[in-house]
Amino acid sequence: MMPWQPTTIAGPKQARVANPESVIRMLKKAKRPLFIIGPVIICDEGCDETVCHKAKIRSSCMDIAKEWDIPVVTVGHAFKSFLKEGFDTEPMGIIEIVNLLKDPEWKGLRGEGQHDLVLFIGVTYYIASQGLSTLKHFAQHLVTVTLCKFFHPNADASFPNMSDKKWLKYLEKLKISLRILNQEINTIRRV
Amino acid sequence: MTLKGIKELQNEIWMIKNLKANFGELRLNRNWDEPMGPTSKPNVTDLRAWDFKLLSRFEPFYAPFCDMCCMCTFGKCDLLGKKGACGINADAQQARTFLLSCCIGTAAHTAHAHHLLKHLIEKKGENFPIDLGMNIDIEAPIMRTVIGEKPGKLGDFRKVLDYCEEQLTYLLSATHTGQEGNILDFESKTFHAGMIDELSKEVCDISQIAAYGMPKGEEDVPLIELGLGVVDKEKPVILCIGHNVAPGAEIVDYTNDKGLYNEVEVCGICCSAIDISRRDKNAKIIGPLSKQLEFIRSGIADVIVVDEQCIRTDVLEEALKNNSTVIVTTDNACYGLPDRTNEDADKTVSDLIERRIDGALILDAEKVGEIAVKTALRISKDRRNIKILPDLKEVTKYAEDCIKCRMCERTCPNSFPVFDAIQDAGEGQFSKLLEVYEICYSCGKCEESCKADLPLVSMLTKVGGHYLKNQNYRIRQGRGPIQDVEIRKVGRPIVFGEIPGIIAFVGCTNYPKGGEEIAKMAEEFLKRNYIVVATGCSAMSIGEYKDKEGITLYEKYEDVFGAGGLVNLGSCVSNAHVSGACIKIANIFAKKPLRANYEEIADYILNRIGACGVAFGAYSQKASAITAGINRWGIPAIVGPHGTKFKRLLLGRKDKKESWKVNDLRSGEVVEGEPSPEHLLYAAETKEEVIALIPKICIRVNDTPKGRQTKLTNYIDLHQKYIETFPNDLHLFVRNRNDIPITYRKQVTEFLESKGWKPKEAPFEPSLMDFKKEEGR
Repeated sequence: MMPWQPTTIAGPKQARVANPESVIRMLKKAKRPLFIIGPVIICDEGCDETVCHKAKIRSSCMDIAKEWDIPVVTVGHAFKSFLKEGFDTEPMGIIEIVNLLKDPEWKGLRGEGQHDLVLFIGVTYYIASQGLSTLKHFAQHLVTVTLCKFFHPNADASFPNMSDKKWLKYLEKLKISLRILNQEINTIRRV
Repeated sequence: MTLKGIKELQNEIWMIKNLKANFGELRLNRNWDEPMGPTSKPNVTDLRAWDFKLLSRFEPFYAPFCDMCCMCTFGKCDLLGKKGACGINADAQQARTFLLSCCIGTAAHTAHAHHLLKHLIEKKGENFPIDLGMNIDIEAPIMRTVIGEKPGKLGDFRKVLDYCEEQLTYLLSATHTGQEGNILDFESKTFHAGMIDELSKEVCDISQIAAYGMPKGEEDVPLIELGLGVVDKEKPVILCIGHNVAPGAEIVDYTNDKGLYNEVEVCGICCSAIDISRRDKNAKIIGPLSKQLEFIRSGIADVIVVDEQCIRTDVLEEALKNNSTVIVTTDNACYGLPDRTNEDADKTVSDLIERRIDGALILDAEKVGEIAVKTALRISKDRRNIKILPDLKEVTKYAEDCIKCRMCERTCPNSFPVFDAIQDAGEGQFSKLLEVYEICYSCGKCEESCKADLPLVSMLTKVGGHYLKNQNYRIRQGRGPIQDVEIRKVGRPIVFGEIPGIIAFVGCTNYPKGGEEIAKMAEEFLKRNYIVVATGCSAMSIGEYKDKEGITLYEKYEDVFGAGGLVNLGSCVSNAHVSGACIKIANIFAKKPLRANYEEIADYILNRIGACGVAFGAYSQKASAITAGINRWGIPAIVGPHGTKFKRLLLGRKDKKESWKVNDLRSGEVVEGEPSPEHLLYAAETKEEVIALIPKICIRVNDTPKGRQTKLTNYIDLHQKYIETFPNDLHLFVRNRNDIPITYRKQVTEFLESKGWKPKEAPFEPSLMDFKKEEGR
């Protein structure tokens, strides 16, 4: 698949095209996932959040993180939009968190050990591409997945290029599948 | 001198044992009795130990643009998880390409300095004095510290450039296949390239200040007209693009000498514009390099004179579309044009007017002055009726032809909503196109990739020009170095932290959301009593913003190098004065010897002077060299999101306490330090992230408690304002209770308790330098 910005092709290895089902499979395997959310999904000043698709995307992201209990790092100035919703995230720079993720000795956001799967959404395309390249080359200990509406070849797996409508649909499906999965796991545990 | 005289002198020298001298050096260092320091004209490895100390704190972070190496015939080699045919791996390859980038940038500044110096020596003579006036004794702080000599006359700079070129050759050779292979050694060489870049810039700016009579650091220099709307289109217009002032300066001199000043408009884009206006305050500045394609497309310029660096390489092609005439003036950008350097000027004018030649290469700046003016005067009338841009109806018609491939926004470096804007334009609505125009830097990639061949840049230019008729702003004339007298006033409050920092907005216009963000960042810190300086395109971007009252920051804030002052230093070679000011603080305030004393000065700057560079739109190889140059002095820099495409940053890890230890030279103890500055080169994603980071990156380990309180107050304020939360690493910067800002005492105290914070003593004389033997362990 052609990347959203066509010149971000870096070499022979490209990301696998992901969909909600494949992301679920990767999340199921992961022990310590992390979710990185960037400023691209923050509403512009004066925007009506009741109709803005970015607000809906943010809402889906919060639900996904809650369903699977994934710690969230907000980068750029994304923190404040989540704070308004009462949703707890750790503010950092994208470069700062990528630098930590490439260190196998880092103890992770919760101090439980380095993360093994990182979900990205809403990070400025070209800086995300560079950060994903860093992790592709120098962080063999983790898997990167992008949930943006733009295909990112430097990730291990990436949603394809798609419209806002389809993107929201993908995220909603991911959220619902995680909820169902959670219910199944809880049922099994009770049994 | 007669042969006999020389022999007598040789005999005298021979009789004094171990005296090493030559005539040039004797003249060069007259009246300077400071002993020579340890590192005069350092070779590639002479400052390696200092570099390694920096690199142990600020480790290289690499973000490959490409997985492959394509530099030799063994390749392409895929370096993802494997080594290439020469044995290089991915991180060393990034370090290598960054060194290469810095060598290119340094070569550009060094060639620029060489071209200009040659011209100025031809014009003024070898012995033309380097005199920066009564208020500047330390005329060349970088040269003094690196070379160990000071300039007395223009000819003295030749030796400096000889040294630069020698070092640059060694550095470039290290990037050849099968040479350097270690990332730290690559990085040390990169710092070295940056240092050479600093020297070249200093030579360049001091030469032009001295020889062209540019401002010598005086406060309150005049305001210069800036913007697309400042040019009188009724007159013949000459546009200068690039960085080398010589052709532009000769053009204004010619118009003045011939009494044609009121007959011709001389204007410029990019740093040439700034420097021409330093030569003649009546010259006009169109704007930063981002205005280039747009302005050429507008067809306003009758004659386009290009010199060197950051010129669009299709300038000739674009100019020919609207019958503008192009004159190229340096050996590094000839564009295939015939060499008319030795041709009779009037014959060349005639050939240009009659279109017998598409343009001319003229390697004689004075001749350029004559030919450009004569040509502009004669062709402008004929060009007035040329219709160059589409009218608004045609813009709509073009937009209707859009085939909706969306390649415009996919190839836009910033993914600006060009596609949506074109859809609206197809319905006669131009507001979105206007919004794009205001933040676009007209790289033209959208137009190149448009599958319907729409002239998108011309459409944008038309809409922008139609709706924004009064693009008329003000910028301070570039004033050059900071005067010694100013350094005496601010040295103490800067070192003690009472002036919370010096922020230098430098570099190009590859901004993520337009130039207004630079001005807004600058104003935030001006209001907080930081010293703000600016150069090059960033200085212009600051001038292109007007507040609600319709005035620019240059009119609103004082032109002083002091708290809350805004100073335009000049063009990008004037960046040398940023580190120059820091070096002068070390010398004038702290009495540190400069002469060939690089490491001690850099160590002082790193630990005591809260300065930082912000290159939010950095794009070129020169920008990479500039950051490497200031970084080796211990001055951190923040680049914008596109700066990650330089592929290499230098990051600290605040969670690694070991890396922040310092030597307390007074007590002789190795003591716990703090992550200040936290990074040496960091890329921020947004304006908000930059603003929240600057106050923290201006913290220095040597701040007094009062100074630290001021810096932390700014850090907390701005973090809360732009990220909307209390900074979660604040405890790392509070050494003891005296550092706690009064206004946030309760909040900070509670936070410190939650972190299990323990007070510690601030070191008396923090340093990364090794203890001298008698100083202890």
